[in-house]
Amino acid sequence: MAEKTVEKKKRLTSGSEITNLAKQTCLGMLADLEKARRPVLEATKCSLDNSFYNPKVGYLTPGDKKVRSELNVSSVQKMSRSVFFMEILLRNIEVGAVNTKRELYYMAKGMCKKDALYKPLDFEDQAESDEIVDFIGEMLEVYREDLNCYANDRGGQTYSQYLIVEETLPNGEKATIDLSMLGTSPFQPKNRPQNLKLRAKKKIEFCMVVESEGTANTLVANGFTKRYNNIVIGSGGVPSNAVRSWCKLIQKELDVPMFFFGDLDAYTIQNIYRTLKAGSAASLIRNSDYSAPDIHFLGVLPEDIKKYDLNDYPVKEKDVGEARSLKKAADALKNDPFFADKKNKKLADILRWLVKEKRRCEQQAYFSVDPRDPTMIEKILVEKIRKGNYV
Amino acid sequence: MTSKITSSSTAEYFSKNLQQVGFSSGTKAVLTTLKEAVDNSLDACEDAEILPEIHIEIEKVAAGSQKNMDQIRVKVVDNGPGLSAEDVPHVYGEYLASSKFGRGRCSRGQQGIGISAATTWAQITNAHGARVITKTAKMKQAFKCEIEVDIKKNVGILKEKSNINWDRDHGVSCEFIFDGRMQLNGDAGILTYLQGTSLVNPHLKLVYKINDEEPVTLERVSDELIQIPEPVAPHPHTMKLGEFLAHGTLFGKATLATFLKTGFSRVNEATFTDLAKLGLKKAWLKEPVSSLSQTEMKAVFAAIQEAKLMAPSTRSVLSIGEDALSKSIRRLGEVDFFSVLSRKPTICDAKPVAVEVAIARLKNSKNEADDPVEVLRFANRVPLQFDKGACAILKSIESINWKSYGLNQPKRSIPTGPYVIAVSVVSPFIKFKNASKETIDASDELVAELRLALMQAGQRLARFVNKEKREFDLEKKRSHIEQFGPILIEGIGRITGAPRSRLDKASEGLLKILGRDEAAAEDALAHATTKQKEMVKKLDQYDEDEFEKSEDDDSDADA
Repeated sequence: MAEKTVEKKKRLTSGSEITNLAKQTCLGMLADLEKARRPVLEATKCSLDNSFYNPKVGYLTPGDKKVRSELNVSSVQKMSRSVFFMEILLRNIEVGAVNTKRELYYMAKGMCKKDALYKPLDFEDQAESDEIVDFIGEMLEVYREDLNCYANDRGGQTYSQYLIVEETLPNGEKATIDLSMLGTSPFQPKNRPQNLKLRAKKKIEFCMVVESEGTANTLVANGFTKRYNNIVIGSGGVPSNAVRSWCKLIQKELDVPMFFFGDLDAYTIQNIYRTLKAGSAASLIRNSDYSAPDIHFLGVLPEDIKKYDLNDYPVKEKDVGEARSLKKAADALKNDPFFADKKNKKLADILRWLVKEKRRCEQQAYFSVDPRDPTMIEKILVEKIRKGNYV
Repeated sequence: MTSKITSSSTAEYFSKNLQQVGFSSGTKAVLTTLKEAVDNSLDACEDAEILPEIHIEIEKVAAGSQKNMDQIRVKVVDNGPGLSAEDVPHVYGEYLASSKFGRGRCSRGQQGIGISAATTWAQITNAHGARVITKTAKMKQAFKCEIEVDIKKNVGILKEKSNINWDRDHGVSCEFIFDGRMQLNGDAGILTYLQGTSLVNPHLKLVYKINDEEPVTLERVSDELIQIPEPVAPHPHTMKLGEFLAHGTLFGKATLATFLKTGFSRVNEATFTDLAKLGLKKAWLKEPVSSLSQTEMKAVFAAIQEAKLMAPSTRSVLSIGEDALSKSIRRLGEVDFFSVLSRKPTICDAKPVAVEVAIARLKNSKNEADDPVEVLRFANRVPLQFDKGACAILKSIESINWKSYGLNQPKRSIPTGPYVIAVSVVSPFIKFKNASKETIDASDELVAELRLALMQAGQRLARFVNKEKREFDLEKKRSHIEQFGPILIEGIGRITGAPRSRLDKASEGLLKILGRDEAAAEDALAHATTKQKEMVKKLDQYDEDEFEKSEDDDSDADA
């Protein structure tokens, strides 16, 4: 097994810490204005050109680049909107209320409608209010969830006979969920992993993150979680914040080997798997909690095509989506620090192979190996884990 | 079994292939008929040095003979020199009977196909050809008749001939009743055509009446007669082999040297030395053209294509001119501001060509801010209204970054907004992509020339747009200070809990900061206003003789 990544120091996330930081920022602005100096709001630049891959921690970290907003007649609107939204978010933190970005947009619109003073701030569409919420998060270096702004909990359906989740509810009460008691229903992880504690009834051998939620469900229905002491998670395409933080929590609290089972194509490697393993450029300040650096790519591996005689296909270059994925993969090989690092050389080699050969193989292709045996796919996966046949 | 090989007349060919010459749909039939009649009138007036006045009537008279077609009447009356009774059947009833073919002038019509095709279409769909009244100054009475095309023989047949008294000294009236569909607006609209024709013909007085609407008069904005440059002999590099051989047959017993020197421009004694170096036998130059075999003529053609010749003269190219365009553009509607640009004639693909551009922002445009601008294309002063996709003009417009001139533009597309961009290409040898002459071939050299013209016009336009933008900026900045200042200060106050005294002081500071920005915006507006005034002054100077020189300097500087 590869060496484990090292945990970074804990970040500030408590409500009072965030409120205090926001107040300090506003006091700085006030002091500048009193002296007729232009206040400057500064946020970490969250983009690939400010991303660095740190092999010690195993995820993408931000560089020194900042997005600066200095007060002038053009930016006074954005600054006013930032202060306006900061007030709403701080109030939410104070009373423990939560909202989605869409709800915040309508709340802002409501305030602008009711109070003539705020009318000039009015937001044309949600993109405008989202930009301000994101800017505040990046400026204070906190997650949107820390600001009580939650995304829809998409993906991450989790199955296990041995996992127990303990959740601290907003009122301080505890809820205990034994996943083996849920019948055929999965457990749906939440966006705020710090409220969850995990324990295992028995030593868990491995955790398997499956790209297709349908295939994850098939594995479970055919008895995979009964025959092995494992956790099976359906990622549902590009992993959401909830899935990423959930995988990180499992890695941190249970210390079990974690594998990703997905398609062999440029999109899966460059987008889905890289985001799960090392985070994304858009969430640079959150990657420490939103990535599972110790996860391994179990397959489909290029050599599996020959070994298991799997059906693969040429990439349809006329298909806009597939052609874009290939181009993005070629760009990633040149510019993405994750693939440039020698620690991820084998993954970069697979991506290079995909760009060169222009072929793809879906994870469901394993079902072609012995269509009469419903457990064949799990046999292959377990064999690959046992033989160390992963990246 | 062997099939009998038959030959068909030119008229027979075109009558079966009218779609190739602009009669592929009802809408096109109306526009092509109108266009061909107006082109003939304008060309005739210009040849006779008469300021044109054209009256047009278009109306739907009944249901058409075909499904989904209406019966349309188009009548065009001009004050031109008139046609003699003998010429009428040639002009309206005979294909390829042109007085303009291959003479190297920038006339609208060239081949003598269009108006005969209109007669054929009327004849096929309504069983009547063209109804013509004509009178020359010499004729005592006007000659009235109906002409049909004898499809088998390609000759015009006169019917219902009579002499009548007419209320004008000279001119032609032609009327067609045929199957078609009337479309008024949009790319293929009749009004778009009339608007375009009035733009590039500032000396034209146009009166038009559509259906039962009141007649509309567009007065001429220039009393200057269009001076059509004399044609020059063709340049060898503009010819194809077949044309070269056909041209040769006109010289018969003249020597090859005489043929080359008098039949072409830019060929002289020095050229013959070059030709000898390129392997042409010197003896051939003294031989009569008719005695040279086709193989020998092919060798002559190949050698002269290799020879270095001076570029063709640009004297034969006609320009509308910036002064005329700047007056004419106001006939498009109420104009906020505009920019015109007339490039000096130049050589593209070995052919002389003149490109002119007019851009205007209309006050009452139907265009919304995100609608594509209206593009008016012209070739030899004739509006092009179909098949714009592959046209050199459209490709050039799309390839320019209009954002730098203050216009909005989606990626790789034409800009948007209430603007009209009119582009005119004039050349004795325009290369079209099809026989209906709707699409100018997008050669690299022509596109480069078009781009230069558009960019220079864009730079001039930017001075107006910039001033407006600066005014808007200043206004926006002023309102920002008033609107957002209190929100910002009060918001900070609530989050920090700072006392009122601190907030008042911060308000003062904020006003100081934003006031500095406002002063800077005022300076920028003053600068833009000066630039715009300079531009307006230049436009006002168009009538002055000195203008041409000063503007040349300006366009060099802009480029």
